[in-house]
Amino acid sequence: MIDISALLDEIKASPYREIVIATPHTGRLTFAGLRTGDTVLGPQGQWKEKPGTQLATLERERNPKPICAPEKGEISNLYSELEGQFVEAGTPLAVLRHMLTREEVLRLILQKALHLFCAPERAKYYFTPEVDKKIRASDAHSVAVRDGMEILIMSRMKREVPLHYRGPDGVIYEVYFKYNENVDAGAPLIGVCPRDQLSAIQEVIMRVQTEWKDRG
Amino acid sequence: MSKLQDWKKDRGEAPGVTPVALHEHRILVANRGEIAMRIMRSCIKLGVAFTAVYTAEDAASGHVRLAREKGGEKGLFRVSSYHDANELMAVADEAGCTAVHPGYGFFAEDFRFARRVTKRDRKMIFIGPSWKIIRELGDKINTKRLARSLGVPTVPGSDRPIYDELEAERIAKSVFDFQEQQGIQRPLVLVKASAGGGGMGIEEVYDPDQFRSVYRRIRNYAMRQFKDEGVLIEQRITDFNHLEVQVISDRSGRNPVHFGTRNCSIQSTGLQKRVEIAPGFAPETLEYSFNAERVLTDIVDYSLTMARKVGYDNVGTWEWIVTRKGEPFLMEVNTRIQVENGVSACISRVHGREGVDLIAEQIRTGLGQPLGYTQEDIATEGVGIEYRLIAEDPDNNFTPWVGRIERFAWEEAPWLTMLTHVPCDAPYEIPTEFDPNLALAIIWGRDLHEAQARGLTFLNSLRLEGSNNAGEALKSNVGFLKANTGRILHF
Repeated sequence: MIDISALLDEIKASPYREIVIATPHTGRLTFAGLRTGDTVLGPQGQWKEKPGTQLATLERERNPKPICAPEKGEISNLYSELEGQFVEAGTPLAVLRHMLTREEVLRLILQKALHLFCAPERAKYYFTPEVDKKIRASDAHSVAVRDGMEILIMSRMKREVPLHYRGPDGVIYEVYFKYNENVDAGAPLIGVCPRDQLSAIQEVIMRVQTEWKDRG
Repeated sequence: MSKLQDWKKDRGEAPGVTPVALHEHRILVANRGEIAMRIMRSCIKLGVAFTAVYTAEDAASGHVRLAREKGGEKGLFRVSSYHDANELMAVADEAGCTAVHPGYGFFAEDFRFARRVTKRDRKMIFIGPSWKIIRELGDKINTKRLARSLGVPTVPGSDRPIYDELEAERIAKSVFDFQEQQGIQRPLVLVKASAGGGGMGIEEVYDPDQFRSVYRRIRNYAMRQFKDEGVLIEQRITDFNHLEVQVISDRSGRNPVHFGTRNCSIQSTGLQKRVEIAPGFAPETLEYSFNAERVLTDIVDYSLTMARKVGYDNVGTWEWIVTRKGEPFLMEVNTRIQVENGVSACISRVHGREGVDLIAEQIRTGLGQPLGYTQEDIATEGVGIEYRLIAEDPDNNFTPWVGRIERFAWEEAPWLTMLTHVPCDAPYEIPTEFDPNLALAIIWGRDLHEAQARGLTFLNSLRLEGSNNAGEALKSNVGFLKANTGRILHF
């Protein structure tokens, strides 16, 4: 079993994450009047339906697109010299210092506790239609995986190959990849929990819930 | 309204626009890699300014380097994706482009994109056929109907996209039954993504019981890649040669000419072309069981008939299947410049002169210049071979190999043209987002034997080395290309 206290101490030593906010595409940039040191909010609401604090507007083809803060945090750097300029895709416009929340700490610790099935190559991954149907119908926890089961489709260079699961039998506890996004080689795809360890995992969750206090 | 204005209105162009001199244009090169480099070089040759785009994954590609060196101010922009039309339009406006060259792939056969380029507020020229022609011929099914109406032979099968599983099964069964009646030993059905092209999303079915799972796989693939579930079901003709006719016409659409035929029969197991040869057959050197000269004349005539009928007004390729009995069937029309255009160019002579550049011709005529020559002025000389060099494993279903290229070198020769975006002076990480082509080698010989010998000389001189994270050595298709050089143009 893993040492949760040690892991928690490690995270407490640097309880934040620096998020670089870059332009998603080209366009003309207008800042929303925030300054370095200002606190911004991430998306809110029950379904995260309210977008975060607007940082800037990117206008392309006469469509203004608001660029909002992805998480709660403090602006530690703002590239205000870009005001009014036509910027390329991927140009950094601000850096956000985000304090970790309890859910994020939990995810970090779970990554250590679960059996991770990792991406063999940098590629896009999709669940096979059968697994996808099950996940849509209820959730990832309902999918039982066996060693050698065809679970994912690896799509790369316009070619698709099936990917077989290797590891202990269990249920999918966490999904770490997003639809239509590239996953680097070695990055985790899914976290699997063997059935007999479900209670141990529950205990890990309980401990993080009680021992971690949100700040900021 | 004059006839010319009528014709322009028909094509969605503003009437009364006088053609602008070439050097006043700026072309947006809306593509990557080798083809982007070829378009830029042709622009430089014609004295047309250009603007290139690239994504973060492609920062080390040769096309980025060339654009930095020769593009000047506003010659290069980083974009989020080559697939994002808004992105390309924003860059075109920022740089002041007057025309868009789509290359091949991406937006090359997207009539909506072509229409948008020519119909938006700040109008530009789409360097390719007019959007109506792309719409008409880009659809495999419509092409089939048009061909049938002109008496051009096509492959038996469905003549519209199938969206319903039960109907698909019914058609597959009828194609199987038809082949059995014909006494075909191993009947095969081909399932194709209707919106696909270039051998993508095609699979064959040999067992009627397997049909449903293959159909579903292709449907899912088509949905993901082309956002259209339509599937075509056809008889799979085995034992055939894949031929092409290179057509070009200016904006008048009235005088299409052809730049001969190509043979693209040497393909990977995934039906992707690996070696292309011009001309399509060599009846003066090899013996065929049918009248090869006659077949070549026939497919050229059929192609030009269709081009004239639709008023084809830029470069295009008519793709043909020729069976062992020498029967040609039209497969599809590619309304764009193709990867292998260079192999036709290398054997072509206009007014007896070498150095034909089909991409430059495409840009020139696309921008409104007349073709300036007729079919009588075009002749061919010798045999051209194009090898597609790819990091892949031919023994394992041609799976792409991913890793770093550390050494890439070959012996220069006057009969050799190498087209590549892979830098030869620095290691190059192969990006996984795009197709795995590394380079095109075009070889010319006075006859088939000389071209084959030179091809082998080139392949033997080639050094292509590298390794991946796991420390495995680079795998490439060079061995496959060598092994297949001997059977070039043999049926």
